[in-house]
Amino acid sequence: MNKPFRLDEHRRRPQPPLAPPPDRYFEQLPTRLMQRVQTSAPSPAAWGWLSALSAPVRTALASGVVLGGFAASFLLSPPATIQPVATASLAQVSREEMVQYLLASDQRVTLTDLAELPGAAQSVPAGTLQASPDELQDLLDTQPTEETYL
Amino acid sequence: MEDQEILAKFRDPAARNVAFNQLVRKYQSKVYWHVRKMVVDHDDADDLTQDVFIKVWNHLENFRQDASLFTWIYRIATNECLSFLGSKRRKFFLPLNDVGAELTAKIEADESLAGDEVEFKLQKAILRLPDKQRLVFNLRYYDEMPYEQMAEVTGTSVGALKASYHHAAKKIEQYINSITD
Repeated sequence: MNKPFRLDEHRRRPQPPLAPPPDRYFEQLPTRLMQRVQTSAPSPAAWGWLSALSAPVRTALASGVVLGGFAASFLLSPPATIQPVATASLAQVSREEMVQYLLASDQRVTLTDLAELPGAAQSVPAGTLQASPDELQDLLDTQPTEETYL
Repeated sequence: MEDQEILAKFRDPAARNVAFNQLVRKYQSKVYWHVRKMVVDHDDADDLTQDVFIKVWNHLENFRQDASLFTWIYRIATNECLSFLGSKRRKFFLPLNDVGAELTAKIEADESLAGDEVEFKLQKAILRLPDKQRLVFNLRYYDEMPYEQMAEVTGTSVGALKASYHHAAKKIEQYINSITD
């Protein structure tokens, strides 16, 4: 029977027995590293002045740049155009155009529509109505009860 | 050259390149083999060793000397190794054992182990350990690093490191005995 393996009885090697790196690897590595750090280093002329500033000054500078960007975008953006309200544009339409539109349109004004107008009618000045309330009532009574198109 | 001398030179912009060159020459072999033991493959070890020294270059100016320079560099190398192995596992959706199997395949292809059956089994057993436990084992078994220094390198308590090494040694012995019977 084999003797059980015990780690502290095993001959310890200084390194695991892996193949060594290629020849002259450690001679060339410093040169390769120097090439890498030289190419990755930022240009001192471009950012050297920034690194010379203290941390609070750099923070304040960055905040100023951000706020300035917001202010510039606000000032340079074109003013928003205000859309005219619907009532204002309707007031510019002449009566003739409205009549033509209603005659040509498929939309018809029904008795139901007229019945829903008393709220608006109250605001109409009395002078615009060329009939007395009795005359109006008589005219309405002569209308057929069935809904007809104007 | 002493570490303090290298650090003083590095702070002088005119002598920075010379200081870094001396630092690389002083620690490159230790860093390379520390990394190589973890990733096994030379090309991976070469890439990681370079990445470690690039990080040293970028951060040496802010090195506060809470630990020795050697410990600080070892810590960077350790983190690079663990990140590399972790990203490899995530990239290929590999479970823990499959990375060990891949590393074992590289060991099998390595001619340095030909003829030494016990050593070959030992390497296979080491590669079956979880990454962090393997790291602790390597630092203690091969580098013979004191536990206090290991604690600084790994950011783990001395007690936890001793327990980790003990468990690793037991796992290795059990594995070798199981495949020998």
